[in-house]
Amino acid sequence: MAEKAPVSAALVIGGGVAGQRAALDIAEAGFPVYLVENGPSLGGIVAQLGFMFPTHDCVLCRGGRDHGYGCTRPAISPAFHENSRHPNIQVHTSTEVVSVEGRAGDFTVHLRQRPQYVNPERCINCGKCAEVCPIEIENPFHEGLAKRKLIDKDTGRLIPDSYYLWEKAEYCETCHKCEPVCPTQAVNLSAQPKEWEVQVGAIVLSTGYRLFDPREYEEYGYKRFPNVLTSLEFERLVSNNGPLMGHFVTPATGEKPKSIAWLQCVGSRDHRYPWCSAICCLHATKEAILAKERIGQDVACRIFFMDQRTFNKEYHAYYERSRELYGVEYIRSRISGLRQDPKTKQIYLRWRDEAGKFHEEPYDVVVLSVGVHPPEQSERVARMLGIDLNDYGFCHTEKFTPVATTRAGVFAAGAVSAPREMAEAFTTSTAAANEVIQLLSALGKPQVPAKPQPAMPEGPARVGVFVCRCGGAIEGHMDTADLAMYAATLPQVAYTAAVDFPCLAEGQEEIRRAIAVHKLNRLVVAGCSVRTHLALFERLAEEVGIPRGLVTMANIREQAAWVHPNPADAARKAKELTRVAVVRAVKGRPVKIDTIEPIPEVLVLGGGVAGMTAALELANAGLDVTLVEKTDRLGGIVRRKYHLVEGQDPQQYVQSLVNQVLKHARIKVLFNTRLVSQSGRPGRFRTVLQHVENGRTEEIALEHGATVLAIGGVPYAGGEYMLGQHPQAVSQLELERILAEEPERIKGLRQVVMIQCVGRDEAPHSPCSRICCTGAVGNALKIKELNPACQVYVLYRDVMTYGPREAYYTAAREKGVLFVRYDPAEKPAVSATPQGLVVKVRERTLNEMLELRPDLLALSTVTQPAPDTADVAWRLGLPLSLEGFFQEAHTKMRPTEFVKPGVYVAGLAHYPKFIEDSVAQAKAVSAQILQWLGHGPVQVGGLVAEVNQERCVGCLTCVRICPYHAPYIDYSVPGIGGIMGAAYIDPARCQGCGLCTAECPNKAIQLYGYHDEALMDPAMPVLGRWEVPSPAA
Amino acid sequence: MSETAFEPEITAFVCQYCGDMAADSAGWNRISYPANVKIVRLPCTGKVDVHHILNAFEHGADGVYVVACPEGNCHHINGNLSAKRRVKYAQSLLDEVGVGGNRLEMFHVTAAQGDEFARIAAEMTERIRALGPSPVRRAMGK
Repeated sequence: MAEKAPVSAALVIGGGVAGQRAALDIAEAGFPVYLVENGPSLGGIVAQLGFMFPTHDCVLCRGGRDHGYGCTRPAISPAFHENSRHPNIQVHTSTEVVSVEGRAGDFTVHLRQRPQYVNPERCINCGKCAEVCPIEIENPFHEGLAKRKLIDKDTGRLIPDSYYLWEKAEYCETCHKCEPVCPTQAVNLSAQPKEWEVQVGAIVLSTGYRLFDPREYEEYGYKRFPNVLTSLEFERLVSNNGPLMGHFVTPATGEKPKSIAWLQCVGSRDHRYPWCSAICCLHATKEAILAKERIGQDVACRIFFMDQRTFNKEYHAYYERSRELYGVEYIRSRISGLRQDPKTKQIYLRWRDEAGKFHEEPYDVVVLSVGVHPPEQSERVARMLGIDLNDYGFCHTEKFTPVATTRAGVFAAGAVSAPREMAEAFTTSTAAANEVIQLLSALGKPQVPAKPQPAMPEGPARVGVFVCRCGGAIEGHMDTADLAMYAATLPQVAYTAAVDFPCLAEGQEEIRRAIAVHKLNRLVVAGCSVRTHLALFERLAEEVGIPRGLVTMANIREQAAWVHPNPADAARKAKELTRVAVVRAVKGRPVKIDTIEPIPEVLVLGGGVAGMTAALELANAGLDVTLVEKTDRLGGIVRRKYHLVEGQDPQQYVQSLVNQVLKHARIKVLFNTRLVSQSGRPGRFRTVLQHVENGRTEEIALEHGATVLAIGGVPYAGGEYMLGQHPQAVSQLELERILAEEPERIKGLRQVVMIQCVGRDEAPHSPCSRICCTGAVGNALKIKELNPACQVYVLYRDVMTYGPREAYYTAAREKGVLFVRYDPAEKPAVSATPQGLVVKVRERTLNEMLELRPDLLALSTVTQPAPDTADVAWRLGLPLSLEGFFQEAHTKMRPTEFVKPGVYVAGLAHYPKFIEDSVAQAKAVSAQILQWLGHGPVQVGGLVAEVNQERCVGCLTCVRICPYHAPYIDYSVPGIGGIMGAAYIDPARCQGCGLCTAECPNKAIQLYGYHDEALMDPAMPVLGRWEVPSPAA
Repeated sequence: MSETAFEPEITAFVCQYCGDMAADSAGWNRISYPANVKIVRLPCTGKVDVHHILNAFEHGADGVYVVACPEGNCHHINGNLSAKRRVKYAQSLLDEVGVGGNRLEMFHVTAAQGDEFARIAAEMTERIRALGPSPVRRAMGK
C-alpha cells in the first residue's frame, strides 16, 4: 500500500516513551507523524516498570499537557490509545525501517510490517482466540516469568489494544482454531507482510536501549541459580500487574524472602563495558523500597555499590529516605562472584569492606542491576540511516547540539544516545521534536486539526441507548436484548438497540443512522471500558452534532459481564449502570471550551546559555522575544568556563550565541532588568519589568503569550576550607581560569588537592550538584597534561561521572590522579601554616590520616539557585523544589514546564546541569511553546470546573485547595449579594479534578460532566437504591 | 423480605484512574465479585462530595465506599486525601443520625489491582450484609 503524504511530515523510529513524547510534540505542533515500532506494541521498557523513582507514581496516567486526547488530561500512553490518538499520528507496530533515502527535508522511507495476523482495528479484546490456542510460550512482557498463548495479549493494557500472534508456528498451519472463534473476523492466519514508502522531511531516532544479559558473566550464576534475578525480572515479580500480582516470593522456595541483595554495575563500569548506566543506582533504591513496602519491613535489603550516583533533582533525598525511613542498607563494595548453597538455594556473597575485611553472608534473593546497553539493532539502523555511533555503540551527538546526529535531518531522542533516566529522555525527545518542528516549518504550514464543537441541541432530550453485544463477549453473559428493552423504559429514551460491535465501522454506521432517523440528541453506549472507548463515541457524536458532555457510557463488560458469573446478577447490575448513564446523558451539558487569541511574543528571563538558546529557537521560528538579563552582560555562568572535559571551547560557543542573539531582528535584549510582577493568563500575560541604568529606574510593561525562566544558578560562596581567605585556596572555576590564562603557573606546581561537595552540608540547599565531579576530573586531566609530574588528589564522597563521563574518571586514574573518599561525618581539615596549606584527610582503606601539603587547593563548591530564584518564584506564584530550584510540573514526565501553564523553565534555574542538558531543555521549551503560540486562536477547557459567581462569597476555599492554582478572586466581578470579588477558574489551568466543587461551602462551583443536577436530581436519583429489584429479593 | 435474603445495594465512587482501571483489570482477569456494587466513575475521588455520600444513603443505598489511588499517588496530587478526610467526616455524620459510619469506607488501590478491587467489593458486601438493610431503606418501606 502506498501512502501519500506531504513532505512536511516526520518519522519517529522507536515507540518507547521517548518516541511517543517526540511524536506527540511534533503532532501537536501541527505536523503529521509516522510512529514506527519494531515490537508488537508501544511503551518500550518503561511499560514494564510498575512506577517511577523518585515520585513513585504510575507511568500510565501522568504526563501530558495536551488536552483532548485520551484520559481527560491525557498522559503518554492514553494519548496513543487508538480511539484517543492525536489525528496527526499514525502508529505502525511490528514494523521496521528498511531503507532511508534522500536528505533533510525530503526523505523517502521504506517500511516493512510483519504480517498482522490479528487486525488491531477489529480486535475487541474478548480473548476467545487465546482460549482455544493450544500453544504456550514465555511471556516477554513478564521477562519470561509467566506464560502466554501463542495468540494472546502480554498484559491488560497495550497499544494497540489488541491480541496478537507472537509468531506463526508450524502448528498453526493445521490448527487454525483461533480464526473461526473470532467474532469480528480479526484473525487471519494467511495475512501477508506489508511494504510501503512514506515521504518525510525529518526523522527522530528513539530506539532506546536494551538491558545487559548477565549470562555473559557466568560468575553471577544467572539462569543457573534460580534465586538470581535481573533488576527487570525483580520489577516484574514485585509489580501489581506482574505474574505474582505483586506478592513476591523467593523463586526456588516459593516463600517470602528474608534477605535480598542488589549488585550494582553488572555490565557497566568494567573493562568490557566501561560506561556508567546512570539509572541503576536509583532503580535499585526504588526496588529496595518496593521490597520493603510489598514484602515487608522485616526483609533485609542491601545494595552493594561503588558510588551512589544520585545526581539528579530529588535523588539524594530519595536515597536518604530509603535509608532512614525504610532501612535499606548500602554497602560500598563491588561483588564479582557468588555461590549457591545447593541445599537451601541461598546465594552466598563474599565481599570486602572498605577497611579490607572480608565477609561472607547468604541471601535469599540476589538482584543483578544490569547495565544499559545500545539496542540490538543499533548498528544496522545506524548503517541504514548513515549516522555515526560512538565508541560504546550509542548514537553519536555533539556537546552543543545534543539531539543532532551526524546526518542532517535525523535527530536522537532519549536513551539512544546515552543511558538516560526518564526526565532526560523526555527533555531530549521534546528537544528533538523542536528540531523537527523548525525544519518542517520551513517546508509547509502546520496543520492544527480542527476540533468540532457542536452547540447544545435544542428541545427535549432524546436519548439513544446502544447495547453492545460484543460478539458474544457480553451477549452470552447476559441478555442484551432484555437490557435494551429495559433501557427503552427509562425517561427520555427515544431509541434503543442491541448492536453487534458499536466500536467497528459497521456498528458506527448503525448508530449514525439511528441518530439521524430518530433525531437523537443524547448518546449512551452500554459496552466496555470508558477509558478506552468513550473518545470514540464522543468523536462519532460530534460528527453528527451531539456535543461532548451528552455522551456517556456504562461499562457492562469489564464491570459486569466478565465479573458476575450469574447472568441474572450481571444483567441487573448492567441495567443499573445503564440507568445511571442515561440520567447523566439527559442531564449533561456540552463541555466548556474557551477560545483565546494568544500574543505571539515570549518573555525569556535570563541571558545565559539556556535563555539565549530558547530565545534563538523561538525567534528563528518567527516569534518575537524579549530577553531580560539582570546584569549588563549576556553569557551567564558559562562565561567563567574555559575548557570542557570533552575538549570543546565554551568561550567561543557562548560568544557565538551572544553574537547571534544581539543581531537577531526578533530578539530584544534588556540588560540590567528585573521582573516586578506578572498578571494575566497563558497566551495573554502582562509583565512589569524594572530597568536600571545610570542610577535611573524605569518601569517597562510588556504583553506576551509565554514566559521562559532561565535565571541560572550560582556557585556556593561560603568560606569553608579557607576559600577566599588564603591565596592557595581557590574555587574550581578559578583553577579553570588559571589553567587557561596562566598555564606557566601550573607547570611550577608540585601538588594540587581538590575537595568535592564543598557546601553540601553548609549551603542552605545542598543537593548533589551533578556537574562538579566531571569538572574536577577535567581540571585534573588538564593539570596532568600541562604538568604530568604534579600530584593531584581528589577528595570526594561519591564520584558522579555518570553515563559516558565515566571514561574521563577512568582516564584521570590512569594518569595517576588519586581519588580519596572521605566520610561526610569526618570531612577533610584544612589549616594554614607559614609553609602553606595543610590538608588532613582519613584514607579509609589504610584507615590512616593523610597529611597533604598542596601548592594549590581547588574547591568544588555546590551550585546554588540564583539568589533571586525565590523572589521570582514568589512574584510568579511558582513553587520551589526542596533544593530551592524551581519545581517543574512533574519531576520525570514534565521536566520543562510548570503546573501553571504558559511558564517554562530551562537551565540551572531548574537544577545544576551540563551545557548539553541546558541546550536540550531550552530547545524542549521552544518545542512546547511552538505547539500553541503563533498558530492563531487556541481552544482551552474541556471537563473543567466553573464558578457560578452569583453564589460565590469569595471565601478562598477553592483558591486554597486547588492543586493547580487555577482559581483566583476576580475583584472586578460581584459575588453573592453584589459584594465585589468572586472566584474565577481559568479553564486553561483547570485540570478537571473537581476538588474545589466538593469543597465549596456554597456549592457555587460545578464540574462539567459531573454536575450535581445530573448526579443528584431528586426526580431521578442515581446514587442510591437500584431501580431493578434484586433477583434474590 | 426475610433478613437472610437481604442483598445489599452498595454505591462505590471510583476515580477514573486507579479505581475505575482496577475495576477494568478485575474484568480482564475475570476475577468475580458480588454484583451488589454500583460503580460511579468520577474524575478523581477529590470530587466525592459529602453531599454525594449522604444523597446515596438518603436514596436508600445500604453502603457506600470510595476507591482512590494509593496515598501519595493521586493523579491530582492530593485529591484522594481530601476524599479520605470527607469520608471520615461523613462517617461521623452517619453515626450521629443513626445510619452508622461503618456503612461507609475508604479504600486505595492501584490500577493493576483487579484482585484487590474484587476483594474490597466482597468485603464491603459481607460487611453490609451483616449489618442488614440501611435504616433509611427500611424507613422507605422496602
